[in-house]
Amino acid sequence: MDPRPSPAGKRVSLFVTCLIDMLYPQTGMSVVNIFDYLGLDVDFPMAQTCCGQPAFNGGYRRDARHVAYQFLKAFQDAEVIVTPSGSCAAMVRHEFPVLFADDPWRSEAERLASITWEFTEFLVDGLGLDDLKLALPHPQTFAFHDSCHGLRMMGVGEQARRLLGNVENATIVELEDHDECCGFGGLFAVKMADISGAMLEKKIGHILACPADTIVLGDVSCLMHINGGLARRDTPKRARHIADVLAEGLPEGVTYGR
Amino acid sequence: MDVKARDFVPAAQAALSDPALRAAVKRATDTAAKKRLVTMFWAGRAHGEALRQQAAQARRRALRDLPALLEQAEAAMTANGIQVLWAADGDEVRRLVLDIAARHDVRRAVKSKSMVSEEVALNHALQAHDIDVLETDLGEFIVQLSDETPSHIVTPVIHKSKETIRDLFVRELDMPPTDDAEAMTQFARGHLRRAFLEADMGISGGNFIIAETGALCLVTNEGNGRMVTALPRVHVALVGIEKVIATVEDYATLTQILPRSSTGQTMTVYTQMIHGPRGADDDGPEHVYVILVDNGRSDIYATGYAEALACIRCGACLNACPVYEATGGHAYGWVYSGPIGAVITPLLTGLENASPLPHASSLCGLCKEVCPVDIDLPRMLLDLRHDLDETGHTPPVWKGGMRGFGIVAGSPRLFELAERAAGLGGRFLPPRPPLPPPLNGWTNVRDLPAIPPKSFRQLWAERQKAKKTP
Amino acid sequence: MTSRESILNKLRAARQPFADLPPAGGMIPVVPAGDTSPAALRARFTEAAEKLGCTVTHCADPAAAIAHIRDLIGNDSTILSWDLVYVPLPGLGEALADAGIAIAAPGDASVRVGLTGVDAALAATGSLLLASGPGKPRGASLLPEVHIAVVAANQLVPDLETWLAAQRAAGLDSLRRLNNVVLISGPSRTADIAMETVMGVHGPGAVQIVLLGEG
Repeated sequence: MDPRPSPAGKRVSLFVTCLIDMLYPQTGMSVVNIFDYLGLDVDFPMAQTCCGQPAFNGGYRRDARHVAYQFLKAFQDAEVIVTPSGSCAAMVRHEFPVLFADDPWRSEAERLASITWEFTEFLVDGLGLDDLKLALPHPQTFAFHDSCHGLRMMGVGEQARRLLGNVENATIVELEDHDECCGFGGLFAVKMADISGAMLEKKIGHILACPADTIVLGDVSCLMHINGGLARRDTPKRARHIADVLAEGLPEGVTYGR
Repeated sequence: MDVKARDFVPAAQAALSDPALRAAVKRATDTAAKKRLVTMFWAGRAHGEALRQQAAQARRRALRDLPALLEQAEAAMTANGIQVLWAADGDEVRRLVLDIAARHDVRRAVKSKSMVSEEVALNHALQAHDIDVLETDLGEFIVQLSDETPSHIVTPVIHKSKETIRDLFVRELDMPPTDDAEAMTQFARGHLRRAFLEADMGISGGNFIIAETGALCLVTNEGNGRMVTALPRVHVALVGIEKVIATVEDYATLTQILPRSSTGQTMTVYTQMIHGPRGADDDGPEHVYVILVDNGRSDIYATGYAEALACIRCGACLNACPVYEATGGHAYGWVYSGPIGAVITPLLTGLENASPLPHASSLCGLCKEVCPVDIDLPRMLLDLRHDLDETGHTPPVWKGGMRGFGIVAGSPRLFELAERAAGLGGRFLPPRPPLPPPLNGWTNVRDLPAIPPKSFRQLWAERQKAKKTP
Repeated sequence: MTSRESILNKLRAARQPFADLPPAGGMIPVVPAGDTSPAALRARFTEAAEKLGCTVTHCADPAAAIAHIRDLIGNDSTILSWDLVYVPLPGLGEALADAGIAIAAPGDASVRVGLTGVDAALAATGSLLLASGPGKPRGASLLPEVHIAVVAANQLVPDLETWLAAQRAAGLDSLRRLNNVVLISGPSRTADIAMETVMGVHGPGAVQIVLLGEG
């Protein structure tokens, strides 16, 4: 269990992340719909943009800090921050204190780091919920891919499996080497494109050999990279974010912008 | 060894298009990684993790107290009859070894594995002075025979197929052709055995030096490490200054966690503590020299990267790394490859000589997870990337691109504008547009994601509006 | 300034890394201790050594052990050996002499069989611990193809940690006087050629452990 004070009863500020905001808005909506269904008080601070991870991971800390300041300002009234991204959660939780170590904003950065949760971690460890009483409209088979930052820096993976395991009509099978990196790695995907491509090939090989129709994961960065590769293969298989899969199991009437 | 790390990207590309190499590397690293899991965790995950922390603490205590422990080690070794020398850099290592060779009329030397000797190109220096040097570790022997460099810290020729080695032995040693690994090994054994018996000097590395007893500790499997340190009349050991550990208790942990992490063995076949040269009625070398080698380590010690010196050279990070699996070791361009190589090559040889290496990682974190002394390699790669940027290694296209990113993502208004522009333009964007480098790195491998017409914040705003409307 | 001084000065001038480490606490053995009764140690040692590729023969009495060793030596007329005073098998010297088996000079690399005792045997890892010294040449366990090691029952200890603790208790000076201490864990091996494990590289390819009974 998470040693932090429970976030139950507090207003949830959604940090939707730049990739979801721009490229996968439906995933953000899935999160919102699930929170609606659970009766949570959710807000979306409009001044948010990005956590700065792309620049930080490349070593460009000045640019990263510039972006991260905006995060601090956008979330300064937040009580609890939830984000559907293991890597962005890790950025805020683990790297903000590094980025702002010598900065007047340091205590604010540390405060926000301490109240930031990854989406599945928030539901299972924070609220103590692992059975959301969901049911998919028809049976589907899933396999998990563990995103590296989520798994190794945030310790998440088990939570998503428990959540999906309790969804009716969801069957979970194993993806071989599910905890092996897909090869995205941020700017690495472009800077070291050939190696990134080789790692992607390996992941796709496992996906094609796996009986699951859908690969479930917690980071759209991996999703963008994996689906970009699957699109070039003759396969209907795709990766989907855990929030989208869960939201598919929501009862009728709890939707917006589906 | 010359540093060729700046050529990492083309070298990696060459490796990627060599299916035989990739298959060999994958097989070797998969095997070692699986075996590691068995012996590290046979008594349960908690026990294995506790051992890692115990080993990590032992190495960090040693680094914390390094200067004092070095002095203690020197005094203890000297009292035991070992002659202790100090070498600030490669030049000095070579000079010291040549001095020793001259002093003892050495014509022929046999060598067991020493990464430090590779750093300082010792073999070439000896050969230039007409001293025969024969590598005796089978993998290093093959490397020497083929005039190459090792590609893995522990198993130097994982990049070579059995057929390649067979052909090498047939061509260079007149071996009767055979595809049987045992027969090939026996042939090499015969060839090397004579060398052991006739050598004047044995050169080895050192895995640890125990400060409180002055023990030079070696772990080997083939027996060449014992031959090299027992048969010739002179034994010279090259040991990095960071290899000192404090106590015999620390040694017990480290000498057992090293093989588990490395090859999945519980002990290497020969685990030695050498305290001194032969006694009066003993066998063994008449003279034992230990050369404590700096060669850039004290520079690392003074930085935030001191933790990199905790490394016990087990190779577990290589075996875990998906980048190493894709490229093999030669692409890294120097003695040390894989995640530890990506960190210490720039630190030991200069950032400018190894600038691609800190970027040769997706930061998946598996290296830290398997490291028996818990070195935070991902943290150091991130810090090195920052160092590269701070020292002017960022190409203008990235500098500009990141500056642009910082400006747009640092302002909600600009960010929204960018989103709207993307939403509009996305309609006309094919999945595989021709893009300029470096962006074409994406489309060479994957399709672009489709850009939806409305961003999340637009959908949210509409939702909020709809809720207010009765 | 010598290199020694410049290196030490540099290290001392640096800000001390890991200054906040907790003091060294009790350390756990790498292999959990388990049952350390003599019978359990024998069983664990045997299992571990066999897993490494050693052959372990339990000999109830000296006569059986001597006969077994004679078998292993076969028709060879010379062996390398420790001074038999260090091999805990009374009557072995006479038996070898009777069979016309001579002990070769310590560096003789043409001999097929080497015979030693041990200083200890570690149950946790199936390891033989041999210290060099007068009458205990390193070559006997290194040069020949076959290494016969005679282990007395009371030489079995649980693990390396236990053995080192005993050395510490005796004062580490006695350990330091042992010029070469080697733990031998199985026959020599390599996997350098295409990851295929081959036994018997430079060191012995066969390790024959003669484990003596309690009595």
